[in-house]
Amino acid sequence: MIALENFLILSTILFSIGFFGVLSRKNAILILISVELMLAAVGINFVAFASFFDTSQLSGHIFTLFVIAIAAAEVGLALGIIIRLFRDRNSVNIDEANDLKW
Amino acid sequence: MSIGMQQSWLLTLIPLTSFLIVSLFGKKLPRQGDWIVVLSGSLCFLITLLIIGDFQSFFHGHGFEPDGNNIYNFDWINIPNYLLIEYSTFVDAITVVMLFVVSLVGLMVIIYSIGYMQGEQRYHWYFSLLAFFLAAMFTLITTGNLLQLYLAWEGVGLGSYLLIGFYWEKQSAAEAAKKAFITTRIGDVGLLIGIIMLWRVAGTFDIQTIIQLAQESTFSDGYLTTAMIFLFFGAVGKSAQFPLHVWLPDAMEGPTPVSALIHAATMVVAGVYLVSRMLPIYTLLPIAQNLILITGLITALLAATMGLLAQDIKKVLAYSTVSQLGYMFVALGVGSLTAAMFHLFTHAFFKALLFLGSGSVIHATHKQDISQLGGLKNKMPITFVTFSIGALSLAGIPPLSGFWSKDEILLYTSEFGAIFYGLLLFAALLTAIYSTRLVILTFFGTPKDQEANDHAHESPKLMSVPLLILAFFATVSGFFIFPFVGNLVGFDSGFSGIVYLDHPHDFHIELSTMLVAISVSLLGVLIGYLYWLNADGRRAENAKEWAPEVRNLLLNNYYFDNFYQAIINKFILGLASIIAWFDDQVVNRSGIDGSAQIINYIGFRLKFLQTGKIPNYVLMMALGIILFSFIMVVNY
Amino acid sequence: MFSKIPLPDQFDRLIITGGIVTASTTLFILSILLILKFLDFISYTEVFFWLISTGMIIGALASVLLKNIVHAVFSILAPLLGIVAIYLFLGSEFLALAQLLIYGGGVVILLLFALMMTNVQDQPLVEDGSQKPFSIIICILIGLILISRLLSADLNLSTVSSAELSVLAGVIFTDFLIPFLLVGLLLDIALTGALLNGKTHNVVATKRDGD
Repeated sequence: MIALENFLILSTILFSIGFFGVLSRKNAILILISVELMLAAVGINFVAFASFFDTSQLSGHIFTLFVIAIAAAEVGLALGIIIRLFRDRNSVNIDEANDLKW
Repeated sequence: MSIGMQQSWLLTLIPLTSFLIVSLFGKKLPRQGDWIVVLSGSLCFLITLLIIGDFQSFFHGHGFEPDGNNIYNFDWINIPNYLLIEYSTFVDAITVVMLFVVSLVGLMVIIYSIGYMQGEQRYHWYFSLLAFFLAAMFTLITTGNLLQLYLAWEGVGLGSYLLIGFYWEKQSAAEAAKKAFITTRIGDVGLLIGIIMLWRVAGTFDIQTIIQLAQESTFSDGYLTTAMIFLFFGAVGKSAQFPLHVWLPDAMEGPTPVSALIHAATMVVAGVYLVSRMLPIYTLLPIAQNLILITGLITALLAATMGLLAQDIKKVLAYSTVSQLGYMFVALGVGSLTAAMFHLFTHAFFKALLFLGSGSVIHATHKQDISQLGGLKNKMPITFVTFSIGALSLAGIPPLSGFWSKDEILLYTSEFGAIFYGLLLFAALLTAIYSTRLVILTFFGTPKDQEANDHAHESPKLMSVPLLILAFFATVSGFFIFPFVGNLVGFDSGFSGIVYLDHPHDFHIELSTMLVAISVSLLGVLIGYLYWLNADGRRAENAKEWAPEVRNLLLNNYYFDNFYQAIINKFILGLASIIAWFDDQVVNRSGIDGSAQIINYIGFRLKFLQTGKIPNYVLMMALGIILFSFIMVVNY
Repeated sequence: MFSKIPLPDQFDRLIITGGIVTASTTLFILSILLILKFLDFISYTEVFFWLISTGMIIGALASVLLKNIVHAVFSILAPLLGIVAIYLFLGSEFLALAQLLIYGGGVVILLLFALMMTNVQDQPLVEDGSQKPFSIIICILIGLILISRLLSADLNLSTVSSAELSVLAGVIFTDFLIPFLLVGLLLDIALTGALLNGKTHNVVATKRDGD
């Protein structure tokens, strides 16, 4: 039997790696996949807790379902925005999309 | 419900209501609403008569103890356990005298103004201001506490300011209004300081309580003297006494009826009223009382000499007003409340009469300079007769009212000291001279400006009837000093039986002083006759060569205006430039601009945090999360 | 447009290098785990769990570290599909299915399309941001904090309850009906928005002077 801590630690590691990706990448698509990674990590967390604690309500499972759905919507929208950005500037480097600086 | 002393608050309410109605809706009302003000003035006069009747029965019921009664209307300011100021009215003999003067002269002036101001622009505004002034003046004389008095004091000052500057299109009128307001403000600051000083020790603003406390020696002598001198300084400003007398001659820029009402009969005697009201305290303080005496004497003399050479018909009257107010202060300074109030009473009538008469002349000829007038006595018979009654009354010719009241003052002064008596007699001589000169130059001789003389005509009835009524009072009001006349109108013992300080006394005639006074007045009239009428005024022309220095001194009003202007230029503007430098450099450049520049600089530096790169923002977020995590770890 | 995309080259190299790296790594880890199994330290379930977990972490690291953008996008497949197995471990078959369909079938394909529409062939190698060294420290710090808090918590529970599909469906269509419908609406709106956003003829020329 695998203990709860294992799942949680796995989720934490994935989350940190995803966060590192968000911080270090410049390419918008790569940032997006890092965000997906973080969302997936959070999903593990929810489902793990739901399985170990919440045996009757299944709220964690349903929440994860919603997270997946919203993540899919987010990916669709974000990619649309990225493509617009690329058409506008011929680049998806978000360091160049800094019109809102000082 | 009968109206009596309990209802004296009506005297504030009625003019104030008509002020609001006329000032707001006057343009839309028929005749621009002047009838409303006339109505309220008549109502006030009626109420005053009722109050006098009530006072009379009260007076009889209480024998000779006219301590008035204090009526509390409502709580004005109430901070529980800390401060309670009640809106109160107070009626005693002084109030009754003032009420009669103010309401009668006020009504006469309002009626006169209908004729005088006919066709002027801002007609309704003029009448609403008269109503406002009357409301403030009635409040001032019926009030029972000092704070309310201060409020009304500023109210009459405001009314005076607005009416002097009524023709504000004229530069000189606007400046005169400012000068009057600022000069009286200087005195008002003293008044306020005095009121606050009295309140600090007494803990109340109620005048009668303060007088009682002062008589019980609650105050230390030095403190009380200081407070009362400050209070007197307010009276000096309002009553145009030396050294703050400079505003009153300039105040003649206002419409002439206003000069009659405000700058002769009512507002300027507010200072006399204040000192009379507080006289029980002043009699305890020799230093303050001597100060009043000396101030009054200096003013009486200075103003009388300045009146000798003034060229403007209204300015002559203004100087004579200042001079006569000085007389009243002399009477208060020697401790005679009766004489001061009596002179106030008669002076109000004959001086208002003189001003309204001069207004009639100005209305007819459109000229104010007496060197341009002359020969009007046949053209304007009513004005001439009434004006002459006023002038002779001012000069002190028996049996006109001015003689009796001036004689009363001279009598008390002669008991006080020979020097004061002599100086005051000299002032009386000068008064007789300049009033004779005024009448002669205006109404006798040959007209200097034939064209203006041809167009001159007697004023309409609206103007001449008030003149006749005032002339009647200017003639007979002096007899009120006799006990039998007092008995006739219901007051035993006459004026001196009602208005007195410590003990009532019968009017007594000192034949010697009376003869001296009569001879001095006649001498003055004779000199005036010899110089300006006899031999066609050649003597006066020759007199110009006598002493050019003195003549210049008088023509320039002893250089008071130049002196004050120099003080303002050198001292006040110098101080102002230092403050302006401070304001510019410290407050503005360093304080306001400086702080803005610091913020600007910090903002300029900090704005580079906004790199526009999203990973940077996320990094900051992460640092924040870490920080909060540590805080939570430490806390749990 | 599609002619720009060098599919054969990229995929050849990707499949070859990726396949070799993945296979060798997997074999290495599997052998270690099997040795541990035969020494009776762990059960088969745990062998499988560790294998999956290690694969997920390696894939995640690859997706955030690789210079080649196509490699990075493909590497994300490892954690996303690994989660399917994790969900199965946790007894949630429906979620596993949904994850497989949505991520494996939808999201990654979308990402690849996005890659194709952008300048992959010009600059297949991406540069990373200047704050990379600093963010390593930050992320290690965050991970350590979270794990330390986890381990200090008292989580002595070991019963795994599986979410039966029929039970899950019952809960969704009763208690969570309105949120479920709202999420459907949200998806609809988002995808319509994405579609409108990407339409070519709708684009107003927004080239600015400065850039």
